[in-house]
Amino acid sequence: MDLTLSPAEREFRDDIRGWLEANHPGPEPDDDKEAFEFRRAWQKALNDRGWAGLSWPTEYGGAGATLVEQAIFFEEVARAGTPPMANVLGLAMGGPTVIMHGTEEQKQRFLPPILSADEIWCQGFSEPGSGSDLASLKTRARRNGSEWVVTGQKVWTTYAHEAKWCMLVARTDPDAPKHRGLTYFLMDMEQDGVEVRPLVQITGEAEFNELFIEEARVPDENIVGGEGQGWPVAITTLMHERAGLAFALQVQVHILLRELQEQIREAGLADDPIIRQRFAQLYVESQVLRLNAYRGLTATMKRGAPGPEGSLGKWHWAEVNQGISELAMDVAGSRALVNEGPWPYRFLRSRANSIEGGTTEILKNIVAERVLGLPRA
Amino acid sequence: MNFDLSDDQRTIKSTAREFLAARYPLAEVRRLALEDEQGWTDEQWKEIVDLGWPEIAELGTVEMIVVAEELGYALAPTPLQSTWAAGLLGADVSAGRGAVVVDELAADAGTADVLVDWDGNSVAGAEIEAVRALDPTRRLFRVTGGSREPLGGDLDKGRGQVTVMNAAESVGVATRAMEMAIEYAKDRKQFDRPIGTYQAVSHACAQMLLEVEGARSAVYWAAWALDFEPETAPLAVAVAKSYAGDAGRRVPRAALQVHGGIGFTWEHDLHFFLKRGEANAHAYGDGAAHRERVAALTGL
Repeated sequence: MDLTLSPAEREFRDDIRGWLEANHPGPEPDDDKEAFEFRRAWQKALNDRGWAGLSWPTEYGGAGATLVEQAIFFEEVARAGTPPMANVLGLAMGGPTVIMHGTEEQKQRFLPPILSADEIWCQGFSEPGSGSDLASLKTRARRNGSEWVVTGQKVWTTYAHEAKWCMLVARTDPDAPKHRGLTYFLMDMEQDGVEVRPLVQITGEAEFNELFIEEARVPDENIVGGEGQGWPVAITTLMHERAGLAFALQVQVHILLRELQEQIREAGLADDPIIRQRFAQLYVESQVLRLNAYRGLTATMKRGAPGPEGSLGKWHWAEVNQGISELAMDVAGSRALVNEGPWPYRFLRSRANSIEGGTTEILKNIVAERVLGLPRA
Repeated sequence: MNFDLSDDQRTIKSTAREFLAARYPLAEVRRLALEDEQGWTDEQWKEIVDLGWPEIAELGTVEMIVVAEELGYALAPTPLQSTWAAGLLGADVSAGRGAVVVDELAADAGTADVLVDWDGNSVAGAEIEAVRALDPTRRLFRVTGGSREPLGGDLDKGRGQVTVMNAAESVGVATRAMEMAIEYAKDRKQFDRPIGTYQAVSHACAQMLLEVEGARSAVYWAAWALDFEPETAPLAVAVAKSYAGDAGRRVPRAALQVHGGIGFTWEHDLHFFLKRGEANAHAYGDGAAHRERVAALTGL
C-alpha cells in the first residue's frame, strides 16, 4: 500500500500542472457559440501536447497513458479550472468505442478529427420512451441497398447542434429479442433528415437537445461492430462514460467544498454545530469518494477490471454533489430566494446528477445483481 | 500509487480469516458470550499469543487493522484488541494483557495485567467492577479510583492507532452483517419469490456495499497515513472513525430489517453484530465527535 505518487508520476503531474498554469486560457466567453469555439481552441492546444487522447493508443494519436496518469491528468485539469474540451463525447465515448469495435478504415477516418475537434460528436441513445430501459428503443433503421434509412426521435443529445457525427443506436430487426435487434451507427448530422431542437431544462439553459430523425441516410460502412451488435457496442460506450470521469468529479467536489466553507464563514455560521456536522459529513464522504476511486484504479490495473467499489462511484458522487448544494442553499438562508450567483444554479443543475448517465436506481440494480449476486427482479 | 494490501498483508488477512473461522464459529462466539464467565478461554488466548498477534502492530498499523477487521468479521471474543490498545497508549504488555480506561469504562479490565487511561497514564490500585455490557461478546468493567502515572508514549499516534483499530473492527462487523443479509435475501421467499428480487430489499443491500467499501477505503487510508504520512493522519483518523463507526451500526441495523422477524430473535446471531457495531460507534469518540474534529481540521 502506497498512496503517494512515484517520482515518475510526480514528474508527469508537475509537467501538466506547470503547463496548465502557463497556458490557462482564462474565463470562457458568455456567448454560447463563442464559448464552444473557445473550447475547441483549448482542445487543439491540449492535443498538440498529446493530451486530448491521453488514454488512446499512440498509433491513433493518443498518449497511451496509464490509468494513474489519466487520473492525475483529470485531477490537475479540475484543480486548474480550465475549460472542458469541446469534443468531450467523442474523446470519452465515441473514440474509445471505435478503437475497440471499429474497422481499421473507421479508425483512420474518424479518430484524427475527434482529437483535433474538427468533427464534434454527440450521442443518440435515449428516446422519449426509452430511458433506463434503453434496449426498448424504437428508432428504426431499414436497409436500402448499401445504405440505411433511419427514422425516429432521440433526446438528451448534448452538443447535437455542434455535432458532425452521432453515435446512434437504432433497431434494425424488429422481430429479434429487444437486445439483439439493435445496430450501432455513426450518423452524419449534416443532412436534411436530421432536425435538432434545443431542450430547455430546469436551469433555464439548453444544455441538451432533441433529435428528430426523418429518413436520414447512413452508409453501410458506418456501422460499428456489425449489424445486430448494437447492444454490446453501446455498453462499451456507457462503460467509458462512467470510468474516466470519477477523478475529475471527485476533485470538483473538493473545490466546491472549499467554496462552501467560504460561504459558511461569510454567513456567520462557522460556529453553528448543525452546519459544522453537515459540512463535515460531506467532507468525509468526499474523501471516501476519492479513496474509492483510487482503490478502484489499483484494482483495475491489477485485475484488468474494476473491483466492487468501481460500480459505486457515480451513485455516491451524485448524492455528495447534491448534498453540497443543498447545504449551500440552507447556508444562504432567505438569500436562497434570489436566483443569483453560482449556488442556485448548482442546486438546480445537481438534481440531474442522480438521473444522467444511469439513474441511481439503475446503478443500485447493477450493484445488487452483478456485484452482490442477488436474483433479478 | 498502489491502494491495495501487499502480498504479505493479504496472507495475514487470509490466515486470520481461516484461523478465526475454525476457532470461533458463531456457536462458539455465542457460548463464550453467554455461558463462559471469562468470555474467552485460556487455551484460546495462548493460541493467539503463539500466533504473535499481540505484537502485530510492530509490523505496521495496516497489518494490525487487517487482523482487527477479521476479528470484527468473526466477532471473536478475545482480549486482544484491549491488549493492543493498552500497548499503543504506552503500557508494557509484553508479559500479558492490557485494558484501556475511557470515561471510567474499560473492556477486559477484569482479566488485564496492566491498565492505562486515554491520557496515557498507567492506572494502579483502581476498583474494578463488572457491568452488564450492551455487547455481550466483550466483557466490560467500571474502573474507579486508583493512582495515575504518565507512561510517556507517543500519545497522538497511539490514540490514532487505537481509534482506527476499532474502526477496522466495525468494517469487519458491517461486512459480515451485509453477507448475512445478502444470503437471507437470496433464500427467503415471500409472495413466491426471493425477497432479494424486490428493489426495496436489493437497494438496501446495495447501500450496505456502498458503506462497507467506503468504510474499508477510509480505514486503510488512515492506517497507512499513521505510519507513512503523519501530517495527514489526524484528519484521516477522524474521517475513518466517523464513517466506519457509522457503517458498523447502520449496516447491521439494515441487515436486521432485511431479516424481518427472525433477525429480532435471540436465537439468530445477527444481534451480536448489531450490538458490537453499536458499541464500537460510541467507543473512542462517536461519529459526531469525529465529524467535529473533521470540521476543525479542515479549517471551519
